Amino acid sequence: MKSYQYLIDYFENSPPIIQVVWVVCCVFLVSIVSLVLYLKFLRSKLRKDEKIVAKFQKEYESDLISYLYAGNEEEAISAEQQIIIDKLKICAADEFKRRIVVSTLLRLRNEISGEMAEAIQKLYFQSGLITYAFKKFKSNKWYVVAKGIRELTQLQVKEAHDKVMIFVNHPKKEIRKEVQLYLVTLFHFEGLKFLDLLETPLSEWDQIQLLEVLQRFDEQEIPDINPWLKSTNDSVVAFTLKLAKIYNQFEAKDTLLELLAHPQKKIRVEAIQVLCHLQVFEAKDVLKNKFGELSLEEQIAFFKLLENIFETGDEPFLLAHVNHENFEIKVSALKVLKILNFEKFKSLKENSAMPEYVKIVEFIEHN
Amino acid sequence: MSDAKKIVLAEDNSTLSLLLKFRLEKEGYKLLIAVDGKEAIELIEQHDPELILTDIMMPFISGLEVISHVRNKLAKQTPIIVFSAAGQEEMVLKAFNLGANDFMGKPFSPNELVIRVKRLLR
Repeated sequence: MKSYQYLIDYFENSPPIIQVVWVVCCVFLVSIVSLVLYLKFLRSKLRKDEKIVAKFQKEYESDLISYLYAGNEEEAISAEQQIIIDKLKICAADEFKRRIVVSTLLRLRNEISGEMAEAIQKLYFQSGLITYAFKKFKSNKWYVVAKGIRELTQLQVKEAHDKVMIFVNHPKKEIRKEVQLYLVTLFHFEGLKFLDLLETPLSEWDQIQLLEVLQRFDEQEIPDINPWLKSTNDSVVAFTLKLAKIYNQFEAKDTLLELLAHPQKKIRVEAIQVLCHLQVFEAKDVLKNKFGELSLEEQIAFFKLLENIFETGDEPFLLAHVNHENFEIKVSALKVLKILNFEKFKSLKENSAMPEYVKIVEFIEHN
Repeated sequence: MSDAKKIVLAEDNSTLSLLLKFRLEKEGYKLLIAVDGKEAIELIEQHDPELILTDIMMPFISGLEVISHVRNKLAKQTPIIVFSAAGQEEMVLKAFNLGANDFMGKPFSPNELVIRVKRLLR
């Protein structure tokens, strides 16, 4: 009590700055102690939750395996399977348990194929879990809807097609992405028909993801891409141009040629690149005739196309551009000229008085 | 059961391990399950199995290290089947270079796995 009184006296007799420092120290000390206690509580709670999840997971794993091996050829659902279905139906009503059941099904569904994978999907229907996925569609929270669609994708529930299609033009891009992945993952190239309805932009990242999914499939026969190339949605056109290039859609040649007059420069440039890849000779004459009207990017793309599909008749056009002010165009013209008429190409070097230009010609000559 | 051929399964997905245990034990094999590469090596050294099934990506010690340990350190010719996920083609080639006998890409059919196991243990 005496020392306690001494501390109070010491505090009261201290200068104000020392009093402030002591108060701050005490506040910090109290905060640190409370935070440490809170973290300890949080950690023990998380550990406890982990243990509960692990316990349920083990139980559901065992139920799932029993279900998979309890089937027989005489009955559609054996008595043992029915017991498991009934149990999972009850568990599905509880959100916490439902999450564990679904994750257990997914953990196995992603690793196996064949009859057992189909049986897991059957269990997903029989236990009523699918109705909860559909319930998520009614949520006001966008991430709940997105998670619902993802769950259906992972469990490959093709039956949800019409319900998922409702979200194809949803204002939230995360939901749209899940819809697109659902369609392409489950219906492959047929799933791309959502492009007919898409009014919102398809970002570059979305396009990459869709192409990544598509390349996993063995069948590479894609539907008619012409309507998508004519889409009023520019991102759909840009994505279809990628498809045309990757899957060599020469059949869409005429529509690709029409895109050379598209109002968007980016689309026109990409169209030239695709036509170059597909080696469409008709594109060369169209572009050559309106070369002066083209933007610089289009002109560069056109010269890249010329590098791919040149003819002897292109020589005068090339000669007219060997001194083009743009470096890329100049180099492309010289490269093609070197192949078409080497003597003429060499004479350019001899007749030029500009050392920089001679250096470029020499570089192309030796490479 | 004591005459049953022993198989060590190294797989970090407990649900898949349990499924394969049921399936292969039904065929008369004895399954020893490891949840990571470290445990797999311990089981292999302890039980000298007739076959090893291993996933490539595992915590602590990868499937590749397990193969290397069996072939180089233990100098055993025990048949090894590796499981790989999509996009792990390079890992599969490494596994073959290290001495794996067969591979199965995930997702795989457990029935097909049984056929491959039987073929290797014939």
